[in-house]
Amino acid sequence: MIFSSLPILFVDMAGSVAMVIISLLALNKARQLRELDTDNAIFLYLLWISMGFTIFAVSRSCSHILKQFLILTANPDIWHVISPYTGAVNTVSFMLVGLITLFFNQSWKINEKILTSRRRMELTHTKLRGLNQTLEQKVVERTEMLTSSEHRARRIFEQSLDTIIMTDDKFWISEINQAGLTLTGHLKQDVVDRKMAMAEVMAHDKEWQRIQDLLHTHEFVLNEETDFLRQDKSQVRVLITAGVDYGAFGCRKTYHFIIKDINEKKQMEQQIAQADKLAALGELSAGVAHEINNPLGIILGYTQLMLKEKTGVEQDLKTIEKHVKNCKEVVSDLLSFSRKGSKEMGLLDLHKVVDGVVKFLKNHSDFRKADIRVRLPDKGPVTVRGNAQELTQVMINLMINACHAIEDHGSTIEVGIVRSGRNQVNMSVKDNGIGIPQKHLSRIFDPFFTTKPVGRGTGLGLSVGYGIIRRHGGTITARNRKGGGAAFDICLPLEDQRHIPEKEA
Amino acid sequence: MTDFSHRFRLSGFCGKKRVWAAVWAVLLLELAGPAQALAIQLHQGKEGIIVHQVGHLIFLLSMVVLVFIITGRQLNREYGWKMILLSAVLFSLWHVATITAHFFDNQIQVVTVENLSLWQVKISSTSGSRLMVYFYHGLKLDHLLCVPAIFCFYRGLASLVAAQRQTCQKQNDDREAEA
Repeated sequence: MIFSSLPILFVDMAGSVAMVIISLLALNKARQLRELDTDNAIFLYLLWISMGFTIFAVSRSCSHILKQFLILTANPDIWHVISPYTGAVNTVSFMLVGLITLFFNQSWKINEKILTSRRRMELTHTKLRGLNQTLEQKVVERTEMLTSSEHRARRIFEQSLDTIIMTDDKFWISEINQAGLTLTGHLKQDVVDRKMAMAEVMAHDKEWQRIQDLLHTHEFVLNEETDFLRQDKSQVRVLITAGVDYGAFGCRKTYHFIIKDINEKKQMEQQIAQADKLAALGELSAGVAHEINNPLGIILGYTQLMLKEKTGVEQDLKTIEKHVKNCKEVVSDLLSFSRKGSKEMGLLDLHKVVDGVVKFLKNHSDFRKADIRVRLPDKGPVTVRGNAQELTQVMINLMINACHAIEDHGSTIEVGIVRSGRNQVNMSVKDNGIGIPQKHLSRIFDPFFTTKPVGRGTGLGLSVGYGIIRRHGGTITARNRKGGGAAFDICLPLEDQRHIPEKEA
Repeated sequence: MTDFSHRFRLSGFCGKKRVWAAVWAVLLLELAGPAQALAIQLHQGKEGIIVHQVGHLIFLLSMVVLVFIITGRQLNREYGWKMILLSAVLFSLWHVATITAHFFDNQIQVVTVENLSLWQVKISSTSGSRLMVYFYHGLKLDHLLCVPAIFCFYRGLASLVAAQRQTCQKQNDDREAEA
């Protein structure tokens, strides 16, 4: 059958051209796809298959076009020579595309594995990033907590009013706070930089040894009382609590001491006990004095009546009168001590009181051996409310005691007045004599307590002075001086000058 | 005797390299001057068409496999893969057509084609079947299958590129949002 060759020719030529163009476009798209995700094995496979299609399309189309061209140009012989080669290339291109396509499943599986691995990696990465952020946040939080904690601990250490000392395992001081430096009187560089030993600040070796033994045995001590030795060699009563610390990693042994200064508390307790005792004694003395005073008055009255008559025993009566008067004087002192007396109080200048006492005593023969030094404040009068006669009596008693305490020529008695703050004044009498034995300090204001030989004192001078000062709203204390000798300190409330009426002032 | 293998080894020309060199040399000689190789098996002229048909069959097989893989993995839900699936189907049909045409005219030669002039062609069947002639004439218009097939392949790739670009854009947006 004869057909028009035009449809076959047209479809063949146009189809061949279209195949080449479209396959090249497809190859371009496959290349773009591959560039979008270079790790995707499927895209790589599609690129390969596109290349296969392109080779196939170009080879087949070119051979078809060449065939038509050679036939149309009446060169069929040439085509017969070329056709086996073009056919072979076509066959190879078929096989190439076919083989590539058959690898699709493997490519897909590889791609799935890659994608799964990538997803896992991304998931792991996300988790890691989350963990990292959490870790960073935790580090920041912990650092803040640590800084705050360290700040609190440092503040407690530095601001504590109790002494805090840290030592190494050999009891060499490695840290001490400001309160500790104040208590010991040392400088920080002396204590820490030069590694002062704890033993150097302990007053008693035996007590320190006992505390060390307790620390070694129990690894702590609780409220142990002992004395601290200050830089000026004075002692301070302290309460020690200590413990062992092995550090954050348990390999660095250190000792921590918390030391409470109880010196003032102890003194206060002693003073309270003394005051309580003297108050009880005062009550007792008042009762006794009251009971004795009336009979003594009667005895003295009758004795004086009998002396007016001629009885022949005048000498005996005078002896009775003398001793009854002595008794009355003792009773009067007892009443003064027990505050039962009633004396008028007024404003007085302590300068004048001290001046009067010193002038009076300087002329006394007993005081010629002593160098009496007076230290008074320069600014104006020191006004207190009190009884000048009683305060003079107290000063005379203290001066006489000081005079009795000094034995040799060249000794000194210091009398001084010092303002203590805005509301108080301290008056002191100091000597450089033999001092007061420690065991007597707690009894020194007791009535009838005396260390003087019989006949030299009644033991009422200081107790009377104590009563007078208490009645004036002040305190009197006795102590031994560091350089030797005794000191009596009287603390009296100052009268505010602004509140003194002009007439009185 | 002279030990040539020793010389080859000394010159670095030994083992697998020698084998491949020999293979390539034979192939080049074969292509450059085809002639009767009396020492080896003689290949008849029909071998070419059979190899060509085998090539078509491999291509057809691969396209069928591709169809099954795409449908088996349900990739055809996506437009791009749907177009690639259609492309594979059309290529399969094209191979069937071309294999059939080659079978008729080259192998069993039941159909002959003769160019009468530039514009006329005579197709005749040895059995005189007009149906065979019309069928063969239809098979000769095979580009009507392979051009749509390659176009579908192109459209599929274009769709995959667009989809991938959207995915990349979304990923970038997500990263920026996270940042």
